[in-house]
Amino acid sequence: MDPYKNRRWVIILIIISIGLIFSFRLFYVQVINHEWSHRAAKISLKTENLQPPRGFIYDRNNKLLVGAETVYDIFILPIAIKEKDTSLICNLFDMSKLDFKKVLENASTGYNVPYKPSVFIKSMTQLEHAKISPFIGKISGVFAEAKIDRGYPLSIASHLLGYIRRIDENQFQNTRANGDFFYTKNDFIGITGLEKQYELLLRGQRGNINYLKDYAGNKIKTVNKIPAQPGKSLQITLDANLQKLGEKLMAHKIGSIVAIEPSSGEILAMVSAPSYNPSLLTGKNFSKEFERLKQNDSLKPLINRPVYNDKYRPGSIFKLVQALIALEDGVITSNTGFSCNKNIIGCHNHERPNNLLKAIKHSCNPYFFQVYKRLIMKGKGKNIFEISREGLGNWEKKIKTFGFGSTLGIDLPDEKSGFVPNVSFYDQWYGKKRWAFSTIYSNSIGEGEIGVSPIQMANLAAIIANKGYYFTPHIIKEIEEENIKEKFKTKHYSCVDAKHFDVIIDAMNEVVNNGTGRNARIDSIEVCGKTGTVENKNFNDHSVFISFAPMNQPKIAIAVYVEFGTWGSKWAAPVASLMMENYLNGFLSNKSKIKAAKIQSEVILNKNTKF
Amino acid sequence: MKYRNLSIWKNVDKPLFLFYFILSIIGYLVMYSSNYNGFEIQDFLWNTNYGKQLIWLILTFFFGVFILLIDGNFIKNSSYFIYGIVILLLVIVLFMPPIKGATSWFYFSSFSIQPSEFIKLGLSLALAKLLSDVGSKFQDFRTKLKAFLLIVTPAILIAIQPDPGTMLVFSCFVFVLYREGLSGNFLLIGLFTILIAIVGIFLKASNSVFFIGSNAVSGNLFFGFILCIGFLFSFLIIRYFVLPRFRKQKIRSLIFISVLGLSISGGINIVYDTIFKERHRTRFQIMFGVKEDRKGAGYNIYQSLSAVGSGKIFGKGFLKGTLSNDKFKHVPEQNTDFIFCVLAEEWGFSGCMVFIILYISLLVRMIMVAERQRSKFTRIYGYCVSGILFFHFMINIAMVIGLAPVIGIPLPFFSKGGSAILTFGLMIFILLRLDAERKVVLR
Repeated sequence: MDPYKNRRWVIILIIISIGLIFSFRLFYVQVINHEWSHRAAKISLKTENLQPPRGFIYDRNNKLLVGAETVYDIFILPIAIKEKDTSLICNLFDMSKLDFKKVLENASTGYNVPYKPSVFIKSMTQLEHAKISPFIGKISGVFAEAKIDRGYPLSIASHLLGYIRRIDENQFQNTRANGDFFYTKNDFIGITGLEKQYELLLRGQRGNINYLKDYAGNKIKTVNKIPAQPGKSLQITLDANLQKLGEKLMAHKIGSIVAIEPSSGEILAMVSAPSYNPSLLTGKNFSKEFERLKQNDSLKPLINRPVYNDKYRPGSIFKLVQALIALEDGVITSNTGFSCNKNIIGCHNHERPNNLLKAIKHSCNPYFFQVYKRLIMKGKGKNIFEISREGLGNWEKKIKTFGFGSTLGIDLPDEKSGFVPNVSFYDQWYGKKRWAFSTIYSNSIGEGEIGVSPIQMANLAAIIANKGYYFTPHIIKEIEEENIKEKFKTKHYSCVDAKHFDVIIDAMNEVVNNGTGRNARIDSIEVCGKTGTVENKNFNDHSVFISFAPMNQPKIAIAVYVEFGTWGSKWAAPVASLMMENYLNGFLSNKSKIKAAKIQSEVILNKNTKF
Repeated sequence: MKYRNLSIWKNVDKPLFLFYFILSIIGYLVMYSSNYNGFEIQDFLWNTNYGKQLIWLILTFFFGVFILLIDGNFIKNSSYFIYGIVILLLVIVLFMPPIKGATSWFYFSSFSIQPSEFIKLGLSLALAKLLSDVGSKFQDFRTKLKAFLLIVTPAILIAIQPDPGTMLVFSCFVFVLYREGLSGNFLLIGLFTILIAIVGIFLKASNSVFFIGSNAVSGNLFFGFILCIGFLFSFLIIRYFVLPRFRKQKIRSLIFISVLGLSISGGINIVYDTIFKERHRTRFQIMFGVKEDRKGAGYNIYQSLSAVGSGKIFGKGFLKGTLSNDKFKHVPEQNTDFIFCVLAEEWGFSGCMVFIILYISLLVRMIMVAERQRSKFTRIYGYCVSGILFFHFMINIAMVIGLAPVIGIPLPFFSKGGSAILTFGLMIFILLRLDAERKVVLR
């Protein structure tokens, strides 16, 4: 009846085969091939880094030295910029359309690609950002990202604290090569000082946030969030008041102050002059200011002289070490006397040094020439070259136990070792058997080839205050939840027995009370010190002073070095004394305040300053 | 009255109704999930897509019950009337203000009506009526011409709007006509044409170059060359292996096919270069995977395939879509043409399988229902409905999963659009009504 009845099977077959084709296709897209679901994740998910706040730095009395300042980087995303917004953008950021065109071009070429955001304006202050933030919310393709820069409420200790700056391409690649993926471009990284030393602790741990975005990139829903772990805060051993005074006193001068607590090795103050305001190296003026400080300042204010400048000759303060080694060696006793024979080596007029105490009190050069001669020429033999070689070798070993000639291991980057001349050095300089005591006698009074950094000088004061040992000078006092101080708790002994120190300490006390260091006296406190005047051909001599107080229970050991400050008692001694008075009493007497003001106003930058 | 009502429900085809009902519910849930952005009761009915969809769905069922109550003969006799009314609407709608470049809608505040949806119902009824009339035989040329005019008139009106997706649906009536006696060659020729066209466009889109000896020739020329060789071979086979009495006829059809094939492949060459615009070419290039274009013309398909692929085996779960959801808008047109993405993303491959099985079951069940009729009208009408739904299903899904270029066509029972929901619902309810009285009357 109906000849076409079977045609329904053809139609049903077609329908079913379409269903099968779809099933296979879906099976492929959804089950076999994972590419589409990866693409989906790329389309819908976005990960954003969460910047951890950098750790703060406090002084020993919990005064904030380094805090945080939020700054804003403005980013542009070239593909999202709309033509109609350009005039608004130009108004907002105060630039011409041509400039903006260039910015866009830069952001789309080279390393930068148009669909990745790149920095447009760096480090806007909070105030500047507040002005523009209501507008940039409406402009597509422009957004702000908060970064934590540094803030310095006290503006002191710039060298010690160091600075941070945005990571450069080299460092970026290096950190990546070392398996450290913390940084993204434009992140801050510690470059010098504590910022560099404790970078890993200060920076904290980056977090991230994954969220679902809509087609326009707006955040719709947070999927998961790993919060950033804030950087650990450091407490350092510095005393902010003392540091501040030290920087005042060293204003308009070149040199260093290092103050150490002898009983622990904690650094109380570390001044490098000339200094700079640490706030200069923050924010958007960084490059300009950095350039100025680095290139255009002949006094090199960026150098941290206390640890970095190891070319300082110690001068007469070195006589203390010579005396100690000689006593330990038994080549002299406290009663040994020599005549002040100015024919051998220059000296000033003073009473006859018929014992060690008097020799130190008056800083008698010929006396210590003789002491050094006995140390070097101790050996029994006929050949003075051989004897000198042997003597110098022994002497070098002993000197080194006082922390000279090698780095102390302070927790600051770039510490320099200083230099103690040794046999091979003179062999190379003069030739083997071409030198003897008579060639190297300048070492006796801390001149000659010796190089010492101010931190080593302060350490010497601490060794004497401790009667023979020192703790590695250090700056870190405490870090949240970290035990990092262990390595600073070992006593390092010098080669000299404690019993030999009494006479030296008495002598140093005499120096301050009646000798060359009378400028360092403090009423009501027994101070021990030793002046040094480092010879400078053609220029003013350097003024050096090391000291500790109080005499019986030393709480502070200090070294002051004022370049071109003529003799030791002129500038270094009073600076040291003011520092110690302020630290021990907690304030300066009126008399001292006047003195401090006078020193502060003195300008000693010229190598030939007349006094 | 009561008795009669009950007897109708007893005679309604339960599986067909069930498939339709379940698909409608799933469709509604998918629509709800696609637009879900926290539930707020005051917005629910009037301000959300799923609220409006619900109103249309309830309206559809209300009309559906009404249809089940009226006499089938009445429906049959109103066929031409309904067709005429909708054609009139199609003419009027051309003078309405265009939306997105097409004059397809009448607007009534927040609701809109799309007469090109209703014509699917009107045409089905009219065609069934025409072919089932006692006097007409499909083999007559006049009947064929009438049927052709019946189909082409609305097709042209819709082409003017323009709405190429809906126009394409009209080709589904080939199936109906085939069932009623149209030569199977039409299906074969259609299939042959599509195959040749696909290969031809692919060769054009991919700019392939082949070598004959050492001469580089364009892909299409090479394809033509291959076709010729193929035809030559066929000719030789016929010449030596087919019985002489059939030989003449076979050779005639071979010549026809050769001419058709070569002219199609040559025609595509010309059409592709001259008539196609750049965006059409890109669409084909993307479809064939020759070109990946994530931002321009390929954006839709890239996004929709990502959403589909991200569903994996079991999907992300109800209301959990992250690409196709309206909040995210990663998939454009996710409420209308690309709504399948929502299903695929949230229910995964397993959900898709349930969907496809349900849909195929519905289509096949309709054909089975059509085939059991004594009434020719009901049978033809059943085929019409099944064919229309099948084409929508085929073109829409193929587009979403990247098997066809982007053609705007809704997915019945799923896509947003009151006119479509209502039309497809009524089409099925009418079929149910006609089927319910299959034992009572003979038409």
